Amino acid sequence: MFLKMLLGALARQKRKHLMIAFTVGLGVSLATAMLGVMFDVGDKVNQELKSYGANLNVIPKGASMLGEMYQLGGDEGGGPALSELESDFIREDELYKIKMIFWAYNIVDFAPFLTLGVEAGGRQVPLTGTWFDRHLSLPTGDEVDTGMTAMRSWWVLEGRPGDEADPGGVLVGRELADALGLAVGQTLEARAPGGRAATLRVRAVFESGGDDDRGIFAPLPLVQDLAGRPGLVQRVEVSALTTPENELARRAAQNPGSLTRIEWDTWYCTAYISSIAYQIEEILPGVRVKPVLRVAQSEGAILSKTQLMIILLTLLTLLCSSLAISNLVTANIMERSVEIGLLKALGATGLSISLLVLSEILLAAFGGGVAGYLVGLGLAQFIGLSVFGSTVAVKAVVIPIGALMVLAVTLLGSLPALRALLGLRPTEVLHGR
Amino acid sequence: MGSNRSFALRMVLWSLLRRRSRLLVALTGVTIGATVLLGLVTLCYDIPRQLGREFRSYGANMVFVKDVVGGRLGREDLEAIRRGLSGDSLVGLTPFRYEPVRNNMLPYTAVGTSFADVRLTSPFWQVGGEWPSAPGQILLGADVAEATRIQNGQRMAIDGRNGRQERYEKDFTVVGTVRTGGVEDGLIYMAMADMEEMTREPGLADLAEASLASGGTGLAGLEARVRAAAPSVEPRLVTRVTRSEETVLAKLTWLVYLVTLVVLSLTMICVTTTMMTVVMERRREIGLKKALGAENGRVAREFLAEGLMLGILGGLIGSFCGLLFARLVSYSVFGRGLTPELHLVPITVLASALVTIVASLWPVRKAVDVEPALVLKGE
Amino acid sequence: MLNPEATFILDIEDISKIYGPIKALQNVSLAVRPGEWLAIMGPSGSGKTTLMNIIGCLDSPSSGRVTLDGLSLDSLSSGELTAIRRESIGLIFQQFHLISYLTALENVMVAQYYHSLVDEREALEALENVGLGDRAKHLPRQLSGGEQQRVCIARALINHPKLLLADEPTGNLDETNEALVMDILRSLHRQGSTIIVVTHAPEVAAHAERTVVLEHGRVARDTRSPLLQAKA
Repeated sequence: MFLKMLLGALARQKRKHLMIAFTVGLGVSLATAMLGVMFDVGDKVNQELKSYGANLNVIPKGASMLGEMYQLGGDEGGGPALSELESDFIREDELYKIKMIFWAYNIVDFAPFLTLGVEAGGRQVPLTGTWFDRHLSLPTGDEVDTGMTAMRSWWVLEGRPGDEADPGGVLVGRELADALGLAVGQTLEARAPGGRAATLRVRAVFESGGDDDRGIFAPLPLVQDLAGRPGLVQRVEVSALTTPENELARRAAQNPGSLTRIEWDTWYCTAYISSIAYQIEEILPGVRVKPVLRVAQSEGAILSKTQLMIILLTLLTLLCSSLAISNLVTANIMERSVEIGLLKALGATGLSISLLVLSEILLAAFGGGVAGYLVGLGLAQFIGLSVFGSTVAVKAVVIPIGALMVLAVTLLGSLPALRALLGLRPTEVLHGR
Repeated sequence: MGSNRSFALRMVLWSLLRRRSRLLVALTGVTIGATVLLGLVTLCYDIPRQLGREFRSYGANMVFVKDVVGGRLGREDLEAIRRGLSGDSLVGLTPFRYEPVRNNMLPYTAVGTSFADVRLTSPFWQVGGEWPSAPGQILLGADVAEATRIQNGQRMAIDGRNGRQERYEKDFTVVGTVRTGGVEDGLIYMAMADMEEMTREPGLADLAEASLASGGTGLAGLEARVRAAAPSVEPRLVTRVTRSEETVLAKLTWLVYLVTLVVLSLTMICVTTTMMTVVMERRREIGLKKALGAENGRVAREFLAEGLMLGILGGLIGSFCGLLFARLVSYSVFGRGLTPELHLVPITVLASALVTIVASLWPVRKAVDVEPALVLKGE
Repeated sequence: MLNPEATFILDIEDISKIYGPIKALQNVSLAVRPGEWLAIMGPSGSGKTTLMNIIGCLDSPSSGRVTLDGLSLDSLSSGELTAIRRESIGLIFQQFHLISYLTALENVMVAQYYHSLVDEREALEALENVGLGDRAKHLPRQLSGGEQQRVCIARALINHPKLLLADEPTGNLDETNEALVMDILRSLHRQGSTIIVVTHAPEVAAHAERTVVLEHGRVARDTRSPLLQAKA
């Protein structure tokens, strides 16, 4: 009989139940979309922040960054003389290992650099060899495309981007190109201190807004030949997706030895910038990995702020949809005071009425919730695609959260109204409202 | 007619006041809508601005040099730049002066700067030890500290020659080391006053960095103002920072807008359904009024008045809650309060009233279209 | 209005009402004189309610003619029907249908409000006439069923309707209150009001001077009370 009444009510009061299902559906879709975005926004924003360039510098243990100072202070340029020691270099053929550390998937891009002072057009000019867009086949069977092009997203190119297949094609900085009167397609001679020379063809003129504008970027083998340092590079820039630093990460960065075993495991298995740096040092012997704090710290700050912001927005959304759902349920129950009064007059107990009403509402809510979940998935993808151009990976945990929310909200939302109605005397409801 | 109008008002007021539980339901609905509306719109106004400030952690986005190669900025240039940049968006302006110096016969580069300003323009510096606070104190780059093995608290003798080729020498106390993972690790930092005293050449900077909480057109405008204020100064955008900031900030802003749009529209629909439920409950009352001879328009107008009052009341309460919420988010996320956009309050109240009216008119229309007889007989 | 032949306040000629496949009324004709007290009886499903709705201008027949106070109701819009209802008809409901958030007095004033102008003194007088002068400030839920019905009657009378239409006016009342309500109706009849009562209770119908019995949508009997006939 209970079932008959339930089904009858559901079928006959279609409009009211549709309304509940609709509102619950809206609430759930909102919650699903926001939770989906919330769990994924960190990764997405992290990816976006990669446009600021590398956050790790890999240099040989013996070398320091002292050389770079020569680029500053309006120096005529030319770059430092190359060291004679092989220990001041990193072997190019070992670089693929960077993609084989524990957090390999968090390594977005990396590129090696070798800078040599050359004479070109009657001036001393820094000539930097790099990978523009290198394809690597790893021993693990993975295929990787990496290189500098993606790590200099702020460069404005006039001409074609650097190409590994064009061994003599170079990118010339805007200031240098203006000074030498170079245009895309022209060639220039570069003479290295050792007497070796090469002909460079300008593929593009770039504007970086920094000191790079006074230099030339060329494919790595060309510079290695000119320098007489085959298979060697001076430094590697790595762009990695990282987790914002916390207290543990700061302590580990100071001294990994100070951690307890468990702390160490946690640290090692979290994508902190310091643990990624540590893992690269482990896999490439003889290097030091320095986090570029300008990038790494800002990333952390912006990431955690964005996440916090989205979390708060999600909480607000959940709160509001909860209130809206329970509000509607309250309205729905109030509307049915006559029906409930009648049932009481017929001798129904408070419990059985509550059960009937609640199961009706829950059934409607369930239907709405499922539909809302699907709509929410769609909304999350819509947000992901239109903002970040990629789909949002909705975590499975969203489903139980959503289901619990609907259940709790619907039940809690119904209670005050149900209590008020059960307190009514049937005659009051039936006669002269 | 006056008494009729006051009776109409009386009906509407009693309808709101004597049906307290129903009023509460409807009011809650409207208040939620208004809270979300004002809270989110305020945040939408505020978040891009606040995030823009967060992005200043990437350091300077505009650099100033003298327009002749090798030229240096004088004190009056710096003041002109500061004048040109003055305004809300200026986070900091820091001069830098580079001098080749020696310590123990080894070459280094010493940098004169203003530490108070560096802390604003380069918040990413990690300083071990203290920031210099008294004359004669310096910061060593991490690589320099490692190479020289000079520890915090030890003394360091620096010598060199100035522009007139006069030799100078001065003893400093190292109070801290700076680590950034970049060029800064290889430099020695001192206060500009110390640098002037040491080299006996006053007030010259090779370049100045400015951190500006502004993007795109705003930066271009500031650039033009500096050019006007200091014609011999060449402002340059740090494209690495400005370009990346533009793309990332645009996406984040778009994210906030989109989320707001979705939340807002769904919330408004929720409010609408709630209002509909509340009004549908009164179909019988509508039928009665029609049976008593009320025209459709008159019944509709009464509901309109009720909706208007509900909307205004809910809108006011919601505005208050919304501002509170926006403040909360702003404080907990960005650690800053926000200026309440008070002109949004009337808009919120208006929008709430509009939503309430639209939400109640639809079911009222349906109810008045129904023959009153059906309403009277039906349960 | 100036029809000299308007000897009938209500003249129904051969009306039918069809809801889809259901013929609620078939070729019903009925004429009511001013001052008459008519009872419409019949089992449920006989078309009582439909007939009452049509008389009360709450509904229109599918075919046939209705003339109320000399005014043909044919082809009137729902707005025009509303206006006639407001001017000419007072409705009394089985469920009373008082507005829950208004006091007894205000419920009476609602009818004034939609009709013309509110007049609190007149409304209070109307309540006093049904013996509720002291209950004017009470809300419906504070009134007994009988009191609510009397408020409903006061509301129906406030605009001096030409026709008083009561749908099971005592259906929800106990005997004492039923007697009270019937007393009010009787005194109204004495003052010359035209009253139509729809009911299935013979003891209520017995008060009327004329009884029309509907069966299956048709008029089965149209009788005059022997008592009143003798008087005539």
